[in-house]
Amino acid sequence: MDQKPPKLATHLLYFFLKHELREEVSGDLEEQFLHVLKEHSKARAVLNYWFQVINYMRPFALKHIRSTPMFFIMFRHNIIISLRTVFKNKTFSLINIGGLALGMTVSIFIGLWIFDEYSFNKHHQHYDRLVQVYRKHITPSSISVGSAVPGALGLELTESYPHLFEDVTMTFYRPNNQLITYNERTFNETGYFFQEDAPHLFTLNMLAGTRNALENPSNIILSESMGRKLFGTEDPMGKTVRVNTRVDLIVQGIYEDLPDNSTLGGAQYFLPLSLVYNKENPYVWDNYNVKMFALLKEGVSVSNASAAIKDVINNIQDESDRKRDLLLLPMKDWHLNSTFEDGIQVTSRRIQFIRLYTTIGIFILLIACINFMNLNTAQFQKRGKEVGVRKAMGSMRGEVAGQFLMESFMYALGALMISLIIVYALLPYFSALSGKEILGQWANPWFWLCCIGFCGMVALMAGGYPAVFLSSYSPINALKGKLRQGRANTRFRQGLVVFQFTISIVLIISTLTIDKQIQYAKDRPTGYEKEGLVTLIARSQSFADNAELLRSELIASGVVEEMGMSNYPLTNTLGSNGGFRTENTEEVPVYFNTIFVSPEYGKATKWDLADGRDFNREFGDEKNAIIISESAAEAFGLENPVGQQILSKNAFNDQSSFEVVGVVKDMIKGSPFDEPVPLILFPTRYTGFYSYVFVRLNPEVAVGTAISEMERIFKEVNPGHPFEYYFAEDQFMSKFRAEEQVGGLATLFSILAIIISCLGLFGLSAFMATQRVKEIGIRKVMGASITSLWALLSKDFGVLVLIACLISVPIGAYAMNSWLQDYEYRISLDWTVYGMSVLLSLFVAFATVSYHSIKASITNPVQSLRTE
Amino acid sequence: MKESKLGDFEETVLLIVGILGEEAYAFKISEEFKTQLQRKVSIGAVHSTLNRLSEKGFLTSAMGQPTSERGGRRKRIYEITGAGYRALEISRDVKLSLWNRFPAFAGFKYHIG
Repeated sequence: MDQKPPKLATHLLYFFLKHELREEVSGDLEEQFLHVLKEHSKARAVLNYWFQVINYMRPFALKHIRSTPMFFIMFRHNIIISLRTVFKNKTFSLINIGGLALGMTVSIFIGLWIFDEYSFNKHHQHYDRLVQVYRKHITPSSISVGSAVPGALGLELTESYPHLFEDVTMTFYRPNNQLITYNERTFNETGYFFQEDAPHLFTLNMLAGTRNALENPSNIILSESMGRKLFGTEDPMGKTVRVNTRVDLIVQGIYEDLPDNSTLGGAQYFLPLSLVYNKENPYVWDNYNVKMFALLKEGVSVSNASAAIKDVINNIQDESDRKRDLLLLPMKDWHLNSTFEDGIQVTSRRIQFIRLYTTIGIFILLIACINFMNLNTAQFQKRGKEVGVRKAMGSMRGEVAGQFLMESFMYALGALMISLIIVYALLPYFSALSGKEILGQWANPWFWLCCIGFCGMVALMAGGYPAVFLSSYSPINALKGKLRQGRANTRFRQGLVVFQFTISIVLIISTLTIDKQIQYAKDRPTGYEKEGLVTLIARSQSFADNAELLRSELIASGVVEEMGMSNYPLTNTLGSNGGFRTENTEEVPVYFNTIFVSPEYGKATKWDLADGRDFNREFGDEKNAIIISESAAEAFGLENPVGQQILSKNAFNDQSSFEVVGVVKDMIKGSPFDEPVPLILFPTRYTGFYSYVFVRLNPEVAVGTAISEMERIFKEVNPGHPFEYYFAEDQFMSKFRAEEQVGGLATLFSILAIIISCLGLFGLSAFMATQRVKEIGIRKVMGASITSLWALLSKDFGVLVLIACLISVPIGAYAMNSWLQDYEYRISLDWTVYGMSVLLSLFVAFATVSYHSIKASITNPVQSLRTE
Repeated sequence: MKESKLGDFEETVLLIVGILGEEAYAFKISEEFKTQLQRKVSIGAVHSTLNRLSEKGFLTSAMGQPTSERGGRRKRIYEITGAGYRALEISRDVKLSLWNRFPAFAGFKYHIG
């Protein structure tokens, strides 16, 4: 039997124990070991031995710090020296750390945003196997890809391809807001009509009820928050809600709210699709009105399944000149990669944004790092003597370099901590600015790993140069103060300043351009008067029956000047038809926006009639009359369109030939950045079902009064119908959301960039001013004026910023021109933008530098010259 | 002046050193704790206290002769100094006077010696 105590424990003991105690202690412990061994098992003795060894880790027994390896002492010493330097130059440290913290904050925000984009839909359990069915529409002239497929396809895929798909589910193509009513409470919310399997496919987390609830067409399932909104503290299960004031459904399930970064995010309820499609209204092949999702079988690849179902529609509908290929898009592509051009997947706008922001983030960080590097290098140069003393005392080069690296790491760590606090505090605002809920990744180890790794990188970048550079001094030169910085060093630093300002100016140019472009589109003539125009939404047939009454009542009340109706709103270009021609031409290859309007539509919207006349109810039904927009007239090639005949392949108002009675200026209904869509308006009386009512308010009446009066009359005429209204102006402005978001972020980024750059400049100019304090003193004694001294000190930086301007203007011009190419209705870039950017940055730079140069120039030379 | 008060644990260690005489080294003392006081104390803890007591001047120590047991390694034998005795006496007297004034035991007399 082995009578020796465990070796490893003994090694440990010898490692930390004072050398002079080794003999007695090891003796005692071995005796103890043998003693225990006599009475107990070996394991017990070993355990006890370990226990005794560990219990020797007491201050009296530990080796003195003095006798630990050099490394640890130097480490501690370095920290102390670094802290002293930080506190010795408070302003300087503040600028240094603050600038870096700002840069880090921006990059952390951008990082979080990108993380959020890429984690889209990831929470779905079947993330890897869920696919959406897309249709590639191939005609001789074009290829387009869309997600609308016929409902019958779903049945076909379920029946004939069970080896590929575990499950297929369909939803109504266009998700519409529905009114959900319980007792007196009504909410207008987004939700989906889905087939019964959807909750399984999307693995809804049911808090009450089961995932099978949609099997019964009289059921509805609600999100948790929707349930709370509708029912408050009551239990929603089993209660009846009314949908769109028409259908009563029973709540048979409550699911946990879907996260915002999900394709179905924001869905407040799921309704059975069988409400829409059932025995009376079956799924068909020739109506492309559903979206289809499927769950692939384990082990089936997307490309294989995609290839297998490619020709399903083509086999059923054989048309020689057009094909409809099917393809599957995996869930990972739904959010970021679902843009197609000519049938090929292309970089989507979201990816473009991600790239844009990544670039900006990297650049801002780079600016901050450069600052850090510049200021540190400048700062460290003052410490030549310190290096000299260290080296004279026997420091190796590596140790001196270690000191500087250590210091820059501490700065970086400080900056990281500050920026994390800022991120934590500002996250809600950033979420609001970026238009989506962005979560902090505080519990994500990768987040922390990135932060720390990043810190180390910054420290290496910023501290590396001065560390290598300063540690190379020979101690004699360093002590003699012969530390002239090389010309190369100065040049390098100047280059960095130029680089910083180049980026900042490019960002300023972008901001100004984006702002200008948005403003330009906002001021664009829309072809109708937005101010004082209110849109009401009609939701039932009874509304149409009472429309005449509503109109006369509203006008009689005096708050409303006119009321018109249409089947589509003013804010989109839905209702698209081709197949029109004039008497003498072939069919025009243009799709027109075709809408039906009541005769007062024009008077209500106050459109701009360029030629001819408006519709008029006194002329009866006027089934053959149409009004076209100027761009439509152009599409037909008509110079004087009034009185001309237009023929149509499809029937409108049961007619196929029409007479143009009027021409209106183009109405901007779609994107305000696009060319106007040619418009054809057909007149109808109040017979059909109109969803959109346009009300022209009397400008004499205050808006608040008008709305409440309108609501009263509306309720009188249409009891039980919800009164929903929107201001046309707000709706128009909401079209700028995406651009305004980009603009807002660009503004923020460029302000930050210029602040960080100026912080750097500020620190650098302070440093220069102190370096030249004697020179300035002598110059003053010799009679130099304050102005000339100011010019002398500021000039150097001015030149750098000017060079940056020269470089940045072409870059900015190129970048912004290509950005503007995305917009059909756009500004042309002129010199005012560049001029303003350049002036602005020059002004800011000079203001920054002047603080120190003026301060230095007005110092009494007696003080500066007596410094030694 | 050095700290001359005795903690409870220190006092016990000091007493055991006095009891053990020639055998007063760390391992034995920790064994005494186990056998006499039913208290498990690591050698390190004892050693640390011995060290402290030495610093206070209550103990002196010297390395003993090497023996064949424990691999021929020597032990450090501790011995109470005059100051140590005094400290023990003071500690005992203080406690005794307290005991005597404790009403529940007021009738008792302790005879030490």
